[in-house]
Amino acid sequence: MTSSHSPAQSPCHGAEVIASPYPIRIQINGRWYQFEVGRDLMPSDTLAQLLRERLGLTGLKVACDEGACGACTVILDGEAILSCMTLAVEVDGHSVLTIEGLPADDPVIEAFAEQSEPGYGTALQCGFCTPGFVMTAKALLATNPHPTLEEVREGLSGNLCRCGCYAAIGQAVLHAAEKMEAGRRHDR
Amino acid sequence: MKKSFRPRDARQFVGTYRPRIDGHEKASGQARYLDDIALPTRFPGLLYARVLRSPYAHARIKRLDTRRAEALPGVHAVLTFQDPEVASLKPTNAGWTPFFTSSYNRMMWPDHRDRRILSDHVCWAGDEAGVVVAAESRAIADEALRLLDIEWEVLPFVLDPVAALAAGAPIIHPEINPNGNQLPPSPGTASEVFLDRGDVERALAEADVVIEACSDYHNADHGCLGTRGCLMQWEGDKLTCWTSYYQADQTRMHLTQMLNLPLHKVRVINPYIGGSFGRGNVGEQPFFIFTAILARRTGRPVLYQHTRREDFHDTRNALAYTCRLGARRDGTITACHFKSLGDAGAYADHSMAAADYVVREYIEATLGHIPNLRVETRVAYTNRIPGGCKRGIGNNQINLVFAIALDMLAERLGVDPLELAIKNLGNQHGRVPDRSLEAVLREGAQRIGWSQRHAPGDGPSVGGTRRRGIGFSLHNSWHAAWQEVPRGHIQVSIRVNPDCSVILDAPTAETGTGSNTCNVLSCAEALSFLGIGPQDIHWISETDTERGLKDQVQTDSGVSYVQSEVMGKAAAMVKRQILELAARRLNVPIEDLDIEAGKIFAHSTEEELSVRDLLWQEDLVPILGTVSETLPDEVTGVPFTASFAEVEVDTETGRVDVLKVVVVHDCGTVMYAAGAEGQQIGGQPMALGETLTEEIVYDLATGYPLSFNWIEYKIPTMLDTPEVEPVLLEVWKGAGEYGACGIGESVTTCTPGAVANAIYNAIGVRLGAIPFTPDKVLAALGKIPAEGGE
Repeated sequence: MTSSHSPAQSPCHGAEVIASPYPIRIQINGRWYQFEVGRDLMPSDTLAQLLRERLGLTGLKVACDEGACGACTVILDGEAILSCMTLAVEVDGHSVLTIEGLPADDPVIEAFAEQSEPGYGTALQCGFCTPGFVMTAKALLATNPHPTLEEVREGLSGNLCRCGCYAAIGQAVLHAAEKMEAGRRHDR
Repeated sequence: MKKSFRPRDARQFVGTYRPRIDGHEKASGQARYLDDIALPTRFPGLLYARVLRSPYAHARIKRLDTRRAEALPGVHAVLTFQDPEVASLKPTNAGWTPFFTSSYNRMMWPDHRDRRILSDHVCWAGDEAGVVVAAESRAIADEALRLLDIEWEVLPFVLDPVAALAAGAPIIHPEINPNGNQLPPSPGTASEVFLDRGDVERALAEADVVIEACSDYHNADHGCLGTRGCLMQWEGDKLTCWTSYYQADQTRMHLTQMLNLPLHKVRVINPYIGGSFGRGNVGEQPFFIFTAILARRTGRPVLYQHTRREDFHDTRNALAYTCRLGARRDGTITACHFKSLGDAGAYADHSMAAADYVVREYIEATLGHIPNLRVETRVAYTNRIPGGCKRGIGNNQINLVFAIALDMLAERLGVDPLELAIKNLGNQHGRVPDRSLEAVLREGAQRIGWSQRHAPGDGPSVGGTRRRGIGFSLHNSWHAAWQEVPRGHIQVSIRVNPDCSVILDAPTAETGTGSNTCNVLSCAEALSFLGIGPQDIHWISETDTERGLKDQVQTDSGVSYVQSEVMGKAAAMVKRQILELAARRLNVPIEDLDIEAGKIFAHSTEEELSVRDLLWQEDLVPILGTVSETLPDEVTGVPFTASFAEVEVDTETGRVDVLKVVVVHDCGTVMYAAGAEGQQIGGQPMALGETLTEEIVYDLATGYPLSFNWIEYKIPTMLDTPEVEPVLLEVWKGAGEYGACGIGESVTTCTPGAVANAIYNAIGVRLGAIPFTPDKVLAALGKIPAEGGE
C-alpha cells in the first residue's frame, strides 16, 4: 500500500491463502492507492471493509451487510453502488467517491443538514443512514439535475431510514437541486 | 405550503423551526458511532467477540469440547458456561429499570431474573448459548465457533402462548415458575386481575349495547440502523466501555454490580447512537458482562457487536386482547373489560410492564372514571424472540383493541365514534370531555375530512376493485413531568466562557431523538440575557460517566424537556455570578443591576457595561451554573394524541394502501417544532410497517425464525410511505416552566388502530390481527379460506 496509513492486519483474513500477493489500484476521493491483495486485503474483503477498516473512511455505514438498506452507498465512476455488496478487488482501476470526498459546503450535505421547514420534520434523526442517502442523492442529481418529487422517491427507495425522515429527505433533495442550479447560474 | 404550528406563548428559540444542532456533523458523515470508534487502527490489538447462537428453539448443551476452537490460530480466548468466572455470576434480567438508575437489588422486576450469562440452557433459536470466542477477526471467531464439539440435548419447545399455558407444555423457566410458563405479575400486582372497579359482569348484563373487539399485536422489531454492541478495554484495574446502548450511568451500574467492581473503576461512554426506539429491554444485556471478562482475560480491547441478523434480539411484546364495552343507549359507556394474553418470548425482561404495569397508567388517564372497569392479563414464556419495549411499553397493543372497540360501539349505537370518544374518554382534568382530547380529535377530523366519511363498508370505488375509507384512534401521550419524577435529580451544567460562548453539559445519549437540540434551544432561551443564540452554544455530544453529571436515559421521550426544566436555575446561577462581578467592578449594589441582551446596566446611574468586556477584565475562568434538581411532582394529568388514516383497499388482491395519515399531538409546550414534527412524521413508516408489512415468521416445525433480515422483514421505504400531516397543539400544560410531555412513543401508538378502522370503513370487515397482509384481508372478505382453515 502506497499511502501513508500504517500497515495493519487485514480486517478479515479467515482461512484464505493467497499464493502470491498481487497489486490492485483504486482511485479513492481523487487519489490513487495501491494495495497488495493477499497482504493488504483479501479477495473476499468488501469495498466497505477496505474503506472503513483500512482507510478509516467511516462516513459510509454497514447496517445490514447484505444490500438491503443502502447505508453503505458510495459512488463508483459516477454511479451509486452498495459497498457492502462489492468486493474491493472488483474496483481495481476504478474511481470511488465517499462522503469524505465531498466538500464541507456540498449542496446536498447542506440541504440535508438545514432541512427544517414546517410540515416535513428534519431530514435526519439518528444520522446512521444519512451518508448513504446523501451519496445516493448525489448520484441521482448528477444524472437528473431537476428531479420531481416522484423521481426522488423512486431514486432513493433503495435506502432505509428507520427514523422515518422520508418526507424531509425528499424536500432536502429538491432543495439540493435548487442550490446546485443556483451554483451553476452563479458560475456562468 | 404546509401549515406551521403556532405556539401558545411565542418564545425566541424554544418551539421554533430550525436545523438540528447535529445536522451538518451527521449529514457529512463525521458523526462517530461505536462502529467508527471500534477499529483496529484506533485500538491496536483489537479482538472480536462472537457468541454461539442456539440453532434450536429449546435445548441444553450436554457436552462441550472447545479444544479444536482454542487451537485455531488467531483465537485468544474461549469463555464458556463451565468457567467458574462465568458460572458464579448472578442470574439477571435485561430490564432492571424503565428510566431511573437501579441497582441489582432494586431492579424493577426482581421475580423475573431468568437470564444466566452464557447459559448452557437456551430458550429460543438465536439465543446466546454458553460459549463466546475472542479472536483477531470476526471470521476467525466465527470459524472457532464452528470448530466447537457440542452435544445438544434438544428439548420440546412451544411457540404459542395458549399452548404454553396449557397443562403438559414444556416448562421454559422452572427456576421462575416450576409449575408452568405463566410469568409472575409485576411487583405490587397481586393477581391476573390488576384493576377491578364496580361490577363489570353485572354492568355488561344491564347495558343497552354490548360489543366485543379482538386484536393481536405481533413481535415488531426495532430495526435500528446501528446494531448493538460494546467495546471493552481494561487499563490496570479500570474498565472503559464504549457502547451503542443509551444509558451510560445505568450501564456502569450494571457492570459494577455484576462484576463486583467499585463505581469509580468503570467508565462508560456513549458516542452517537444509530437509533434506539426502546430496544434492549432496557439495556442490562449479558454481552456487556462476557465482553468485559474476555477483555480482562486477554488483556486486549474486545469488541462485541451484533450482525444484522443478531440484532433481531428483542421486540415489541406480542399481546392479544379482547375488549368488551357496555353502554347506555344515550352513548354513556358504563362497563369496560380488557383481557389480554401476552407472549413474553424466551425471557421476561419488561414483558409484564407491557401487560399490566404501564397499562394501568393508560387506563387511569383515559378510562379511569368508567364506573365498572376490569383489566386482566396472563403472560406466558414461549420459545420465541423475547418481547419488551418499543416506542413505549404495551401502549400500542391496548390501543389497537380499544380503537376497534370504540368504532364497533359507535356503529352499534349509530353515533359518530369521534363524538362517542369525546363524550366518554379522558378524565385527567377532572372532567369529561377532556379539553386536550377534544382539541386533538376536532383538529384531526378537520384535517382528514372526517365530515365526508361515508357509512361503513360503503366506501367510494376507485378503479373498480379498490375502496377507500378513513378511521382514527386516540391515546394519552407519554410522560409528563410528574411521571418523570422517579428519574430523581436532573443535572445540567452551563459554562459561560469569557467571550460569552457556552459549553452545555446536559448529558444524554444522542440516539436521534433531537433532545440535544431541545436542550440547546432551552439553554439559549434561559441565557437570552447574554444576547446569544443556539449557534453560540456547544452541546457535548458524547456521554461519559467520568464527566461528572448523571445522564438522562433515552428510554422515554421525556428527555426532550426534563433537562430544559432545570436549565433556568442553572442560568439564574450564571446571571447572579455575573451581576456580582459587575457590582464589584462598577462599585454599585447588586440590586441596582440587571443584564439584557449582553449588556449590564445600572438602574440608578444608567451606566452600561457589556458582559463580554466585564468577563475579559476578570480572571478568565468560565462562569459555572450547575444544578441538580428534581422535577415538579404536581399531578397534572397528561395530554392526548390521535392518528387519522385514509386507506385504499383492493378487494381483489387484498392489498391495503395507506394514502394519508394525520398525526395530532397536544404537547403542552413544543420544545423544538421541526424535531417534534420529525417524530410525528418519522413514526409513521415504523407504525405502518408494523401494521401492514413487517412480521417475524417462524418455521413452526423447528421454531426457527425465517425473517431476520431486511429482505424478508419488510421495513417501509420512501416509496411505501404516504403523505403524513403533522399537527402540533398546545392545549394542556403540565407543571414547571414548560410543562411539556414526551411524544416519541405515542407517534406510533394510534396508527395501527386508525388503519384497522379505516379498512372497516372502506370494506366493512373487521381485522384485528396485524400485520394486515393481503391474505388476511381476502380471508376476511371470504374470498380465500382463513389461515389454519380448510
